[in-house]
Amino acid sequence: MSEADATPGRSRNERFPGFNVLAQTGAWDDVTVGVVMKRIGMPPDVRFFTPTEEAAARALFDQLLDQREEPRVPIVNMVDARLAEQETDGWHYDDMPEDGQVWRDTLAALDADAMAAHALPFAACGRREQAALLQSILSLGSGAWHGLNAERVWSLWTRYACTAFYSHPWAWNEIGFPGPAYPRGYKHAGVNAREPFEVRDRRPDDDPAARRR
Amino acid sequence: MSGVRERNASAWLLPAEGSRSDHRLRDDMRRFDDSDEVDLAIVGCGAGGGTLLQRLARRGWRVVALDAGPFWDPEADWVSDEGGSHHLYWTEPRVISGSDPVPLGSNNSGRGVGGSMVHFAGYTPRFHPSDFRTWTNDGVGADWPISYDDLRPYYRDIEEELPVAGDYWPWGDPHGYPQRPHPVGGNGEVFLRGALKLGILAKVGPVGISNGRFGNRAHCIYRGFCLQGCKVNAKASPLITHVPDALAHGAEVRPNSMVTRIHIDERSGRATGVEYVRGGISHVQRARAVAVAGYSIETPRLLLLSTSRRFPAGLCNDFDLVGRYLMVQGAPQTAGRFPAEIRMYKAPPPEVSSEQFYETDPAKPYKRGFSVQTVSPLPITWAEHVCAQGYWGQALRAYLRDYVHWTCTGALCEFLPQPENRVTLSDERDRNGLRVAHFAYSQCDNDRQLMAAAQDVMERLQRAAGAEEVITIKRYAHLVGGARMAADERHGVVDADGRAFAVPNLYITDGSILPTQGSANPALTIMALAARIADRMADHARAG
Repeated sequence: MSEADATPGRSRNERFPGFNVLAQTGAWDDVTVGVVMKRIGMPPDVRFFTPTEEAAARALFDQLLDQREEPRVPIVNMVDARLAEQETDGWHYDDMPEDGQVWRDTLAALDADAMAAHALPFAACGRREQAALLQSILSLGSGAWHGLNAERVWSLWTRYACTAFYSHPWAWNEIGFPGPAYPRGYKHAGVNAREPFEVRDRRPDDDPAARRR
Repeated sequence: MSGVRERNASAWLLPAEGSRSDHRLRDDMRRFDDSDEVDLAIVGCGAGGGTLLQRLARRGWRVVALDAGPFWDPEADWVSDEGGSHHLYWTEPRVISGSDPVPLGSNNSGRGVGGSMVHFAGYTPRFHPSDFRTWTNDGVGADWPISYDDLRPYYRDIEEELPVAGDYWPWGDPHGYPQRPHPVGGNGEVFLRGALKLGILAKVGPVGISNGRFGNRAHCIYRGFCLQGCKVNAKASPLITHVPDALAHGAEVRPNSMVTRIHIDERSGRATGVEYVRGGISHVQRARAVAVAGYSIETPRLLLLSTSRRFPAGLCNDFDLVGRYLMVQGAPQTAGRFPAEIRMYKAPPPEVSSEQFYETDPAKPYKRGFSVQTVSPLPITWAEHVCAQGYWGQALRAYLRDYVHWTCTGALCEFLPQPENRVTLSDERDRNGLRVAHFAYSQCDNDRQLMAAAQDVMERLQRAAGAEEVITIKRYAHLVGGARMAADERHGVVDADGRAFAVPNLYITDGSILPTQGSANPALTIMALAARIADRMADHARAG
C-alpha cells in the first residue's frame, strides 16, 4: 500500500500512514480470516431493498459516514444482506415495527420529505440539501417524524451504518486499530505503548473536540 | 487451591494443546432417552444451569441440561472480530416498552452452552452484605430470604473454580482472591491515576480471567476481545469451568433444544418433564424434577407459556408475580480524550474498578449506590458512543480516527426493583408459534439520581487523570429478577432454596431469582446461588 492507502475512498491516511491491517492476516486464526476477508471480496447483491429504497439508502449512508469517493465500503450491500437474512438484534419497540419494516418506512419517508422540499427524491438532492434534511430529523430529538420516534429512527440508522463501516479493514486502517488479535495477542499494553506492527499517530493534536473549541 | 481439582476438574479435562474443546468428552457423553425419567432436567446451560448441572452430576444425579443454542467450540465457532460475533447473542424476537425501554440482543442476552458468560466482560465481584437487606436498612428494594453469610462459602468456591484474579478486596465483606491481579493496559492506568488524584480508592479486578495457566487452560493473551467469546479459554464461562466436569460425571448437555413448556401433572401438581423442540420436532423429556435457568426474560416467559388447568395464568403465577421486579443496571459510560495514545482495545476491557460509592450515603438524597469500572469499547461500540452525542458524517469519522486517544469507564447503578418492570407475553409469535416476551421498563427517581451521580464521578475522574474532553452516554447493563425469591408466596415465586412455592419439584436457578442487584456484575452471584441450591436440592432429595 505504498501508492495509496487502503482506506475508504483511498484517502491519504494522515494519522496512521502506511498502516495496513491486512498485512497481518498471517497472525490471525483461520476462522477469523474467513469472516474478515469476506468483507474485502465482492459484496453480495442487493436483495432486500427495492431499487427506490436502495437509492435512498445509498445516499443516506454516504451522508452518515461521509463517504464521497470510490472505493466505498459497500454499506448498502452489507446492511441489505443483514436485512435479507434477518440478522437483527431481534427486539423492537412496541411502537415501532421490526427493523426491516422500519427501514422500508423510513427510506420512503426520506423520499417524501425530499419531494416536499425539493421536488426530488432524496438521492437526487444535492449533498447540502440531503445533510440539512438529515440534521432536521436529528434535531427533532425524541419528537415524532412520520409517526415514529425520530431519536429511535436515527439510532437505528447509525447503528446499522456503523456496524458495517467499522467492521471493515479499510476503516480500521484509518483509525489505527489492528483488528483481529488471536492467537497473537498483545505484548505492549499501556499508555503510549505500541506493538511493532502498530503505527504511531502522526497527528496526536488532531482532537476533533479541540478543533471545535 | 488444592481442593479445586477434587471439587471440579473442568480445567484439567480440557485438552492441553491444540483444540480448545473437550471433543472426546462430548463424543462420549451419556445420552438419555426422552422416556428415561431423569432425576433433573435443567432448562438453559449458562451461569445458573451449568453450575447446577456440574454440582448434581458430582452427586451422582442423572441430569440433563437442555439449551436452546449451540454447544460452542471456541476454536471453530468464535472469531476475534466485533462485527462477526452477532451469533453469540439471543436475537429471537422480543418487544420492549416503558418510559425507559431496554434494548436487548447484543449487550445483555447470550445463547448457547455457557450462556451470557460467553460474552460477558469478565468482572466477577461479590455482592455486599447490605444487598441482602436493602428494605430493612434503607426502606427500598427487598430483603432476601437468605443472608450474605449463606452465600459466602459458595462465593469462595466459585472464585477458586473460575478462577478470579484481583487485588485484595476492601469493600463489602473484605476478602482476597485466588490469583494475583493482572497487569493493566492504558485504560486501567488512566483510571488508577484519576482515582488517586481524587482520593477515590480503586483496585485491579476482580475478573474471572486466569492470570497464569490454570489446569489446561491458557494464560490470557490481552487481546481485548473478551466480549466476543474467549478463544483462548482464559476467561471463565460454564462451557469450560463446569460443563467438562459435569460430562465426566455422567451428565448430558443437549444443545439446540428449545424448551417450550413445562409439563405438570394436574392431579398431583408436580412437574413431570419438559417439552422441547429440536430440529423442528417436538419431544418431551421426562424428569423427576425440573430446574429453570433461562435468565430473566426467557425464564418468566417459559413459566407464563406453561399454562394448565391448575395454572391458567402461567406456572407458579398464582399471585401475579412471574415476570415482575425485573431489573437492569443503569450503566452510563464516560469516555475521556488524552494527548497520549491509550489504545484501550489492548488488554481485557475489565481491568480496574471501585466500589467506594456502592453503599447508601446518608448525605445524599438517594438510596443505594453505584460502582465504577473500566470498559473498553471496540470500534463499532465506540462508534455508538460517538453517535449518541449526535455526531455523524465528517464529525463521526473524525472522532473515530481519534480512537487511540480515548479511555472509557462505565458505572453500574443499582436500579430498584419495581413491580411494573416486567415480562408479559406479547401477541407476536416466534417461529415455533410461541408468544414472544414483552419487556416493559421505566426508571424511578432514585434510579435517575444514581445515573447523574455516577456520571459526575466518572467525568471528574477522567478530568483528574488529564482528559481534555469527556463525553458520556446513557445505557444499561445486565438483567436480573423476574421470578424472585422471597420468604413467602405472596412476595416471590421461589423460596430461599430456589424451590417454587407452587410446585414442590420445580426450581429456578438463574439470575431471575435475585430480589435486588447491588451494583455488582451478577455472574458470580448467579453461580454461587446455583451451587448453594444444588446442595439444598440434594438435602431435599435425601429427606424424600
